[in-house]
Amino acid sequence: MTVERTIVWVHGDDLSPNSPPLMADSGVPAVFVFDDELLREWKISLKRIVFMYECLLELPVIIRRGEVAAEVAAFAVGHGATRILTSRSPSPRLAAIAEQIAESSGGRLRVEVVERTPFVKTARKLDLKRFTYYWNAVKNDVLGSQGE
Amino acid sequence: MKREFADRDELIAYLREEFPEAAAVDDHVSGTRGGRKAAEEQLAKLGKGKDYEASRNYVHGPVSRLSAYIRHGVLSLAEVRDYAVAKERLPEDAEKFVNELAWRDYWQRIYDDIGDGIWDDREPYKTGWHTERYADEMPQDIVEADTGLPCIDAFARTLVETGYLHNHVRMWFAAYVVHWRRVKWQAGARWFLSHLIDGDPASNNLSWQWVASTFSAKPYVFNRENLEKFTEGEYCKECPLYGNCDFEGSYERHQRRLFPDADPAVFGDGRRGPGRGRGRGRR
Repeated sequence: MTVERTIVWVHGDDLSPNSPPLMADSGVPAVFVFDDELLREWKISLKRIVFMYECLLELPVIIRRGEVAAEVAAFAVGHGATRILTSRSPSPRLAAIAEQIAESSGGRLRVEVVERTPFVKTARKLDLKRFTYYWNAVKNDVLGSQGE
Repeated sequence: MKREFADRDELIAYLREEFPEAAAVDDHVSGTRGGRKAAEEQLAKLGKGKDYEASRNYVHGPVSRLSAYIRHGVLSLAEVRDYAVAKERLPEDAEKFVNELAWRDYWQRIYDDIGDGIWDDREPYKTGWHTERYADEMPQDIVEADTGLPCIDAFARTLVETGYLHNHVRMWFAAYVVHWRRVKWQAGARWFLSHLIDGDPASNNLSWQWVASTFSAKPYVFNRENLEKFTEGEYCKECPLYGNCDFEGSYERHQRRLFPDADPAVFGDGRRGPGRGRGRGRR
């Protein structure tokens, strides 16, 4: 029986040592890639990179820079992995990178998104037109759900 | 990339060399250190909810300074909420602080729904000015902290040098850019994202839209009295423009002057000013 090898792709929306993908499969190789295109496009100043780098130094992660999809795919292949765990994020750019990883590998690499602890659990469809509608709908759950 | 450094100075020197484009944008470094250890130390300094509620709008008030850690997921909103509530005898005492955490959850949910749509006007401006009447780029005198307005110039310098602005300052600054200078909110939002160490496209852009009125019922404006009160006179006390600056006068005066063609109904139910909607996103 062969065991599927896994790597973790850490991204900038989840730089916690308690990140669910890092906790889900402890000891697996992990990589973070500074997104050169995004740094250029957003004209990111040095202080933002220093802050993120200090966060990364506390994580068991290899730090790279360049084109994210290519770097993550190469890291996975280098470790003989086909499964890539990463944290949930609303960022469309991260979703596009995940798709690109899968597509460029002809489907051999699979990105699995791991959910993070929600601020509030609600099955209801929330009205997001104004904050007040949202807050009135979740307030009791938010204040009452601590410690779960 | 390298992981071992003798100290912070060596790390910074290394990153200046590795990321020359970022250093060329601006090479200041924030006093706020990254990492979970620093985040936990900052969390341990969180004050009582009632003190936060009473004075969070003052620029030297007891705000948490946790935003950069939350933005990068070093601390989760849920754990900060749990910590804040556990400190109180009654959960309700933490309500205002938790309400501010909820703004971030709210912005993230919208981001999840609309993705890059956060860069588009969510709604038309309610200012009476069409989008085309707003400039596309940030004026150089603002980004160079050379407007001649001591408060605004100090805010611009603080942003660039520290990567942080108090939430109330973000709102005054955004209002100045969008309403007094008539610049598209997107230009200001892009500039903030370059520098804010807590810069998150959802919280940042949607907050700018709230000030601009493309994601709120009316434009947010302020006046000198409001700024003077919440900065405790820091900029106004010795300002050579005192009594004669761009922000003098009532909210009604500013609204009439800045938005002469706005639908009167926009301001018909009261004026947005002190006590209305301030403090969004502050953590």
